Amino acid sequence: MTTGNPSYTSPKPCKHLADYKLSHGLSGYNYLQKYLKTTPPGRTSVEKPDIKIPRCISCDGIQGRLYFCLICSSVSCLDHTLLHTQSENGHDVAVDIERAELYCCVCCDQVYDPDFDRAVMSKQIMGIPRGKNGDESIGERLVKRRRLGSGLGQELVDLKISKHLISLRDRRAKSCYPLGLRGLNNLGSTCFMNSVLQALLHAPPFRNYFLSEGHNQENCRKRSVDRLCLACDIDVIFSAAFSGDRAPYSPAQFLYSWWQHSANLASNEQQDAHEFFISVLDGIHEKEGKSRNQSRDNGDCQCIAHRVFSGLLRSDVTCMTCGFTSTTFDPCVDVSLDLDTSNFPPTNIANKPIKPDGNSSMSTLLGCLDLFTRQEKLGSDPKLYCQNCQERRDSVKQMSIKRLPLVLCLHIKRFEHSSVRRMSRKIDRYLHFPFSLDMTPYLSSSIVRNRFGNRIFAFEGDESDISTEFEIFAVVTHAGTLESGHYVTYLRLRNQWYKCDDAWINEVDEAMVRASQCYMMFYVQKMLYHKANEDLSYLPISPLRDTFIPIPGCC
Amino acid sequence: MRASVNRPPTPDVGDTQEKQPTLEEIINIKFIESGEKERLMELLRERLIECGWKDEMKALCRAFVKKKGRNNVTVDDLVHLITPKGRASIPDSIKAELLQRIRTFLVSAAL
Repeated sequence: MTTGNPSYTSPKPCKHLADYKLSHGLSGYNYLQKYLKTTPPGRTSVEKPDIKIPRCISCDGIQGRLYFCLICSSVSCLDHTLLHTQSENGHDVAVDIERAELYCCVCCDQVYDPDFDRAVMSKQIMGIPRGKNGDESIGERLVKRRRLGSGLGQELVDLKISKHLISLRDRRAKSCYPLGLRGLNNLGSTCFMNSVLQALLHAPPFRNYFLSEGHNQENCRKRSVDRLCLACDIDVIFSAAFSGDRAPYSPAQFLYSWWQHSANLASNEQQDAHEFFISVLDGIHEKEGKSRNQSRDNGDCQCIAHRVFSGLLRSDVTCMTCGFTSTTFDPCVDVSLDLDTSNFPPTNIANKPIKPDGNSSMSTLLGCLDLFTRQEKLGSDPKLYCQNCQERRDSVKQMSIKRLPLVLCLHIKRFEHSSVRRMSRKIDRYLHFPFSLDMTPYLSSSIVRNRFGNRIFAFEGDESDISTEFEIFAVVTHAGTLESGHYVTYLRLRNQWYKCDDAWINEVDEAMVRASQCYMMFYVQKMLYHKANEDLSYLPISPLRDTFIPIPGCC
Repeated sequence: MRASVNRPPTPDVGDTQEKQPTLEEIINIKFIESGEKERLMELLRERLIECGWKDEMKALCRAFVKKKGRNNVTVDDLVHLITPKGRASIPDSIKAELLQRIRTFLVSAAL
């Protein structure tokens, strides 16, 4: 079997299903194939062409669940299916007509069989019209070699080098704070920059790259004529932060370079931290992407910004009339999420008292991710053009994550622009976020599988060995209004949280982080998070906690 | 053993063959043939997700599975558990919307 971790497990078949398969093989499944009917959204049902409405042969009923006996092809309602099994020896396994799923009448339970699902899916996939990019469509088992795996290996090599360096430098550190924590002076409304820089400074794979001389300033200067290099300036900040000096640092040179790079944002006004993040990664990519061997195999950029932050989003647009799905893939360095405000007050649900816990009305990050990957009806004005029907049709769109990055940046859209009212506002709603995040449900393989019912079926990408578990290491929060406000970053180093408010750095407890108004969240793959914690042992010199003194600075 | 299982397995043969379809059956056939039934089902699914009904049912099932242990639960147990609660907690607004759609369809089908 596969060595990776497929996102499903094959349950052991019950005795009756095993007996059935032993005596009848797959002939029943193959026979059933011609009765399968698939609706455009991907739901499959069993339909006998000679009968308009399926009815129970015993009581003529049409209500409730109906089952199709795999031995004698009779259709019965649940009660009569159970009787049928009692009277006819061996007629144990039936198929739920509405869902095309297996049911064992002796166990009174749904059962699962990969062979059955394969029979259903192969019919279904043949039925669905396909795009030209056949190799990307579901069901194709061509699993491309995950390049991310090799990327991870590279990170670990980087890590080893930087570990050595840090252990050398560590002795110089005079504070009990982990090395690398250094306040950044506010250079005039630059908290948007400081907050993101703090997160970047402590993104494990990103940090390892710079600390292991991944970007050498001297070489860089030799190679290029123009002096402007954002990566060099980041390297300078890394050197300063990990020098052991604790006095707040002023990233003025970096700010200047960034202004040169993004001339439209160069002003002493407040900026959006998320915009800044994108523009910095863009700047690093421009420089690094050129010098590195750009396309090793399929054109993915090898620059450090993209190696660490770049993931792939999948977007499926399905025609509701013919079921044709067109799939596009977009690289992304972060995932922007709408704030999930869909929690209706519980009174909306009839005959239900308001729940006292208030839990149901809280927005959660998982809720936002659910919302992000939920099927969305596309506007009907104008309707989207379907290639297959050659006509404008109703269609639904669904997003999912095809490939996860090493560091996942989630951005919450707190700034809302209403084109109707021609105004923008900030949403101050509290959002709960977990420290450990499992992204499995939001991966394309899970999302696409769910569309087809409860199936055990290997989809493309299932066997990939990417870890889907993430740990949070930085939260950028925003307080204030749309026009003016303040960004503060919380960093999580060795399971201790630190608040980085421009020049000031304080130890804080978890509760404070949880209560904050998060704007951007940085998650790193769990393995890298723990590796970083184990290896880079920033041992505090003094074991006493109360000797911590906040580092003063000027702002 | 469920009481309904003990119902006689043999229906009264003979009178089912020649029977005229009832109005309910005619309507049902119309709905299926026109595809309206499928559309209504899709609409209902969407509404039940939007209003949180689906999540509520999911939570009920999860709690039940947790209580009983994951190997001691069958689909039938879950169906029996949530059917009464599920029926009772569908918002009236959704029922009204669907009823309206059904009425409109019946008028347009000129039955």
